[in-house]
Amino acid sequence: MNPSLDRRRLLTGILGGATALGLAACGAPALTLPEQAASGTARRGATLRIARPAASAAETLDPASSLSAYEYLGALYNRVVKLDRDGETVPDLATDWSSNVDATSWDFQLRSGIRFHDGRPLTSRDVRYTFRHILDPDVASPQAGALDLIDDIVAVDETTVRFVLSTPNAEFPSLLTAYQCYVIPEDSAAEIGRTGIGTGPFILEHYTPAGAGAVRVNEDYFDGRAALDRIEFSSIQDTSARVNALLARQVDLLSQTNLDNPTARVVANSAGTTVARVANAQWYTIPMLATSEEFADPQMRQAMKLAYDPNAILSTALQGTGTPGWDNPVPPELKAWLDTDREYDPEKARGILRSIGREDFSTRIYTSAYEPNFTAIATAYASQVREAGIDLRITNVAADSYYTQVWMSEPLMVSYWFTGRPVDQLLNQIFRSGSSYNESAWSNEQFDQLLDAARADTNETTRRQKYQDAQRLIIDDGADMTPVFGDRLVGLSENVVNYDEYGFEMDYLSLGLKEA
Amino acid sequence: MLRLIGTRLATSVITLFLAAFFVFFAVQALPGDVAEQLLGQNATEEAVATMREQLGLDANVWVRFAEWLGGAVTGDFGTSLVSGESVSGTLWTAFSHTLLIAVPAIVVGIGLSLVLGVWAGSRRGTSTDSGISIIALVAMSIPEFVVATVLILLLAIIAPIFPAVVLGGPGASLSELLPAIVLPAITLVIAMAAYIIRAMRSSTIDGLATEYATTAELKGLTRRRVLWRHVAPSAILPVLPVISINVAWLLGGVVVVESVFNYPGLGKLMIDSVSTRDLPILQAIAVLSALVYVSVNLIADLLALAADPRQRTLHSSQRRSRSSKEATA
Repeated sequence: MNPSLDRRRLLTGILGGATALGLAACGAPALTLPEQAASGTARRGATLRIARPAASAAETLDPASSLSAYEYLGALYNRVVKLDRDGETVPDLATDWSSNVDATSWDFQLRSGIRFHDGRPLTSRDVRYTFRHILDPDVASPQAGALDLIDDIVAVDETTVRFVLSTPNAEFPSLLTAYQCYVIPEDSAAEIGRTGIGTGPFILEHYTPAGAGAVRVNEDYFDGRAALDRIEFSSIQDTSARVNALLARQVDLLSQTNLDNPTARVVANSAGTTVARVANAQWYTIPMLATSEEFADPQMRQAMKLAYDPNAILSTALQGTGTPGWDNPVPPELKAWLDTDREYDPEKARGILRSIGREDFSTRIYTSAYEPNFTAIATAYASQVREAGIDLRITNVAADSYYTQVWMSEPLMVSYWFTGRPVDQLLNQIFRSGSSYNESAWSNEQFDQLLDAARADTNETTRRQKYQDAQRLIIDDGADMTPVFGDRLVGLSENVVNYDEYGFEMDYLSLGLKEA
Repeated sequence: MLRLIGTRLATSVITLFLAAFFVFFAVQALPGDVAEQLLGQNATEEAVATMREQLGLDANVWVRFAEWLGGAVTGDFGTSLVSGESVSGTLWTAFSHTLLIAVPAIVVGIGLSLVLGVWAGSRRGTSTDSGISIIALVAMSIPEFVVATVLILLLAIIAPIFPAVVLGGPGASLSELLPAIVLPAITLVIAMAAYIIRAMRSSTIDGLATEYATTAELKGLTRRRVLWRHVAPSAILPVLPVISINVAWLLGGVVVVESVFNYPGLGKLMIDSVSTRDLPILQAIAVLSALVYVSVNLIADLLALAADPRQRTLHSSQRRSRSSKEATA
């Protein structure tokens, strides 16, 4: 390896960061990244340093809050159940669960002998308290909406907790996998935001909101001791400063940071650092506001979809690091995913526009630097639909007010979510009529009825069929396009082994540093 | 002189009030409030309403400004809407961190620039002069964040001598901050030096062309002595305003430089507070920055008075008009 060449490449990479988005779209060399993160034996007694983008000084360790310090949660707490890679519900604190015949009452059997970090034993009362806390209107938890079907929570005995629902829901356990549902000790709401007392693989050492913090290993963790001794967290707001900290070996891993392609290239090519992919972690959407004059007509929305090829967006905007979405919001990893072949036919789109009298349709598509790939996706989409005669003017607005001023108020924009929602929550939260996260304001009675029918269906095969019918409705009539799922490009040190993250799950047990 | 100080202090109070007033209403005019900014994609109607109520944001704007003013007059700047911590405590921590990079930058930067300026001016037209002038021009034209990035690349990534960023946040210890102040301080010196060097250079050239300098030289003094004993001290006078503006700029916390180094100073506090619309913090920063500008300018004027007896005499207005005529001639 020639070091001087490396440095020069590094220099142009860093200096070009600001203008790189534009360049990436017009013919920079292809991005080649390792497919898999390094695995191997982790060294005992190591400390891993993670840099995170702190939301604000208002952040808290209370998992129920919308301002939770996300990276700490998985290290400090456990949930009742969690999700596996296929989106199936699997045990965490609960080992077994079952429902009554019509799926309106669910019993969870907790592991016995588990203790919180302060020594108190975990009981069903803690679980009951956790969910009452989430449902408390003053907490305003983002998961409260999804869980408002809970009528009552009963601590049946020390290790059995029962959820009584107002409507049948055969997918109910999956709703408890959200990262707001980490279990906290009974009566701890007032101080949990600072103490972080959970049952997880690590114990809080110290923590400052939007500042530094550290956790040390929990020797008595029920699922075995973690490989690391400690994890140190620091908050770095500016993305390029976070990357510099990695390149200067001050930190080992950048969490919740999707590197843009030019930066990923620099990190991958620098000595000592590399890039890992979290496959399909970023679910990019282009919501067309169904209540707007532009997109109220389902035929118009149909034309907007037919007019573009998701493969083209994937290859130009994301340089191939992801999967085409074909307007189905369900990520292909999930078992309930519907494999369709949505047409790509700009001529047909043009025909539809002609028949509804909108041959020269022109509007703005909003984008911002909020996420590094938004503008590239907006540009790629606009150039695709031009073939069908649709003229989109790209309008770049300030990142800090993008989600307060543009989202859910402008007719057309680029947005995103993290994938990781189980299928029932995904469809109900983002697509159901009137849901507060329904970013396209789409409302379809048939779709809502399908979701209700699926929830009431205790037969797994026919239930999955209903969720797939719901996906087809979104593709045919929906207002929220899904052009691509993007891999999250995570910068990390070459010494990090067993880095494994998908959805909202991160493996803190095997994560470690290489033997020296 | 006392009267001058009195008048200046009175206008300062008005300046401070106006700064606070404009910042308050400018932040009000920004799209989104604290609740919406913090919640982002989770800003559902119910969540925003709950948070607004908890923060007391539903009160009338004028009432809130009056309340803030009442508190500020008695020295109570309230608590941050975001962290819930006291504003004065947060502000003081950040300001002390900013001083930690600003003071060395000021001392080194001003000293070095003045010397280089005199040196370049005294060798007008030589290669030393053009060398210094070109470097100064180049340094002046490169934005701070590029200088900062190049310094990080050279001295933190390729040769890992200094840390690239501060990891400790506002709670960082002095031992963590000390190695981390070097690169930001160098960046600031580079950004600031050019202005002072150029001002000092032309002022020295003017000084060397005066009658008293010629007289001193004809009297038989060495050129070196004329330059450093007679010309340089009075040549600083016209440079004082340039210096004071730069000092005030540094003490206010340089946002770009502090963000690049993740340095927990006043500038970073300001950018974070703008993005979360944390009004109490922004108000206090506005007052503090205005105070810094006012006092630094006042000190510069007083220094000028002390150093230049002409400005203190009764005929000052007459002299000033004559000298301005000379300047236009």
